[in-house]
Amino acid sequence: MSALSKLHRGTSLFAWLLILPAALYMCLIVAWPLLETVRLSFTNSALGVEDYVGAENYAKLAGSGRFHDIVLRTFYWMALSVCLKIVLGLAGASLLNSRLKGGGIYRVLVMPPWVVPIAIGCIGWLWLYQGHFGLIAGVLQRVGILDGPFEFLAYRDSAFYCAVITDVWIGTPFVTIYFLAVIQAVPRELHEAAYLDGASRWYRFRRVTIPYIMPSIAAMSLLSVIWTFNSFEIIWILTEGGPRGGTTTLIIDTYKRAIANFKFGQGAARATIIVLLLTAFSLLYLWAMAKINRRYAH
Amino acid sequence: MNKQISLGLLFGGLLLAAAVHAQQLTFVMCGGEVREADQKVIDQFQADNPGVTVEMEAVPWGTCQSRSTQLAHAGDPVSLSYMGSRTLKQLAQADLIVPVDIDPAMRGLYQPNVLKTVENQGKFWGFPHAFSTKALFINCAIVEQAGLECRGPRTWDEMYDMAKTIKDKTGIAGVGLAGKDFDNTMHQFLNYLYSNNGTVIDPDTNEITLDSKEAVETLEFYGRLADVAQDGPTAFERSQIKDLFNDGKVAMYIDGPWGRGQHNEDVQATSITVPIPAGPSGQSGTLLITDSIAVFKGTGHEDVAIKLAAALASGEAQYDLDSSWGLTPIMKYEQVIAEKPFYVDDPYWEVFVEPIAGGGPEPLFVEYQSLQTVMNEMIQGIILKEGDAADLVAEAAEALEEFK
Repeated sequence: MSALSKLHRGTSLFAWLLILPAALYMCLIVAWPLLETVRLSFTNSALGVEDYVGAENYAKLAGSGRFHDIVLRTFYWMALSVCLKIVLGLAGASLLNSRLKGGGIYRVLVMPPWVVPIAIGCIGWLWLYQGHFGLIAGVLQRVGILDGPFEFLAYRDSAFYCAVITDVWIGTPFVTIYFLAVIQAVPRELHEAAYLDGASRWYRFRRVTIPYIMPSIAAMSLLSVIWTFNSFEIIWILTEGGPRGGTTTLIIDTYKRAIANFKFGQGAARATIIVLLLTAFSLLYLWAMAKINRRYAH
Repeated sequence: MNKQISLGLLFGGLLLAAAVHAQQLTFVMCGGEVREADQKVIDQFQADNPGVTVEMEAVPWGTCQSRSTQLAHAGDPVSLSYMGSRTLKQLAQADLIVPVDIDPAMRGLYQPNVLKTVENQGKFWGFPHAFSTKALFINCAIVEQAGLECRGPRTWDEMYDMAKTIKDKTGIAGVGLAGKDFDNTMHQFLNYLYSNNGTVIDPDTNEITLDSKEAVETLEFYGRLADVAQDGPTAFERSQIKDLFNDGKVAMYIDGPWGRGQHNEDVQATSITVPIPAGPSGQSGTLLITDSIAVFKGTGHEDVAIKLAAALASGEAQYDLDSSWGLTPIMKYEQVIAEKPFYVDDPYWEVFVEPIAGGGPEPLFVEYQSLQTVMNEMIQGIILKEGDAADLVAEAAEALEEFK
C-alpha cells in the first residue's frame, strides 16, 4: 500500500469520526423513531395491547372511503393554501419592491402574522369567526349581508375555507419576505435592457423576474407544501377537524387516532403514509429542481 | 474518631431513611382548578402524614384525561387523577389503574346507581367524587317577551312549540343546543335519549342497543331542535351555550345544578329550572355522570394514594365539596351529617335530586373516546342534515360494536 493511499485512508477515517456524533444523533432522533413508527404500523398497539397484525392497518385504510376522503381533502387543502401563499407572497414582494411611499412601514406590517405565535393568532381568528360575538359576522350583519349570527366554523365548507384563510394569513408573510429578498437579487441591468426595448412592467415581471427567481419559487413551493401538509395547530385550534370531519386532514386524523383514541398502531400506519407521501413530494421536487435549474440557469 | 464515624453513619442513615420515607404524590385534577374543599383535605393529609407531599396539577377537561392516560401508558404514571368515570373501564382493562376498596358501610350511603359508574368485573376502580344530574334552565324574560306563559314544558312537542314561538316572535334562539365534538354534546343527547326510554348499551349483556325506535325519535327531535336553536350548534359545547344564555341570546338550555351559580344575577332572577321534558316513548329522565379519583399503577406508593383518595371522598369532605361547588349530592347526606343537608326542602335542588333513581348512567365502553366520536358524528349528522335519523343511528350502532 502506497503512502498516499494510506494518507487517504487515514483522512477518510478521520472524516467519518468527525461526522459520527452527528450521524448517531440523527439515528437517535430521526431513524429510530421512524423505524419504530413503521414497526408499530404493523401491530394493533393500543392501551395495554400490542400484537403483530401484518398489513391489516394498511388494508383497512385502503378499503376505507372515509380515509380516501381525508387524503383528497388534505391534497385540496394543501394545493389551495400553497397556491394562495405563493401568489400572494409574490404579489406582496413585488409591491414591497416597487419603492412605494412608506415601503419600510409595509415591510414591518407584513410580519406580525408570522411573528405572533400561531396559537395566539388562531385564537384571534377563532373570535373573528364566531357568529354571536365575532367581528366578521357583526360587520356583515351591520351592512345587511347577514340577517342574523352566522357561525363560520359550524358548517363543513365555511369551516374549511376559514381554516385555509387563517393558514394563508399565517404563512404568507414568510413567503413574501423570502420572495422580496430573491426579487431584490434580480440584476437591475436585465430590467433596464427590457425597459429600453419597450417592455411593460407586467411583461418584465413575467419575462425577467419570474424566470430569474423560478428556482426559488420551486424551493419555496416545496417547503410550503411540506409545512401545509403537516399543518396541525391551525386546524386543531379552529375546528379540531370538525364539523363531522369537514376539516380533518391526514395529520389531524393521525393525531386523533393515535393520541386521542389511543390506537397507536392505526395512527402509526397513517403516519407512515404521510412520510411516504412527503418522500414522494421531495423526490418530485428534486426532479423538478434539476429541470428548472437546467432551463433557468443564470 | 470512631465516634465521629459512627455519628456520620447514623446521620447518613437517617438522611437515607428520610429520603426513602419521603413520598411525593402527583395528582392530576381535571377541570383546570383545585377546589378549595379538596385542597383543605390535601393539606390535612400532608399534615397527618409527615414526609408525604402532594403535587397538584390542574388540567382543563379537554386534554386532562388523555394526559393522565398517556403518562401511564408511557410508564410514567401520576399517583392519582380526578377524571371522568367513563375512562375507568379502559384504564382497568389496560392494567393502568388499581382497584380500590370502598368500605361496605360507605357503599350504602351513595345515591342509587352511583357505584355502578365505577364498577367493572366486580371491582371498584375509583372513588366517585362528583356527581351530576341535569335539568332545563328557562329564561322567563324571553319566554314572556314571546307572549308565552313561563312554565316548564312537559313533553318534547311542548318544548319544540315553545322554542319555535320564541324564535319566530323574538328572533332569539328558542333553545341552546350543543353539537361540537365534545363530551357534553353526547351527554346532552343522552339526557334526551334517557327521557325517551332509550339506551346505548346493555350493561348486563354488553349488547349495543342504540339502534332502536327510541333513539331514532330522539335524534329526529334533536334535528328539529336545531332548527329553533342558535345558529351553528356544531360550533358549541355546553359552557359556550351558558355564555349565550347569560347574554340573553338563547331562551333555554340543559345544564347541571352548578348552572345557577354561573348565571348573571339578572338572568338568575328571571330563570326557572324544570325537569327535562319527556319524549313520546318515555318519562322525564336525566343522565347520571360521575367523576372519580383513580389511583394509577406502578408508582410504588399506590397504598398512600388510595388513602388520600379515600380521605377526599369520605362523607364530610365530600359534603363540603358538593355543597360548596353546587354538585348533585353524591351521597344521601341525611345519613352522613348532623345538620339538614343543603338540598333538602329546596325546590331548586328537588329538580336535580328527584330524577336520580330513574336516571341512566353514562354508557361504559372500553374505548370511551371512540364512543364519544361516534355519538357526536351521529348528532352532527342530523344537525347538518347529512342523513336520515334512522340511517345515522344504524350507522352509529354498527360503528360502536368495535369499541364496546
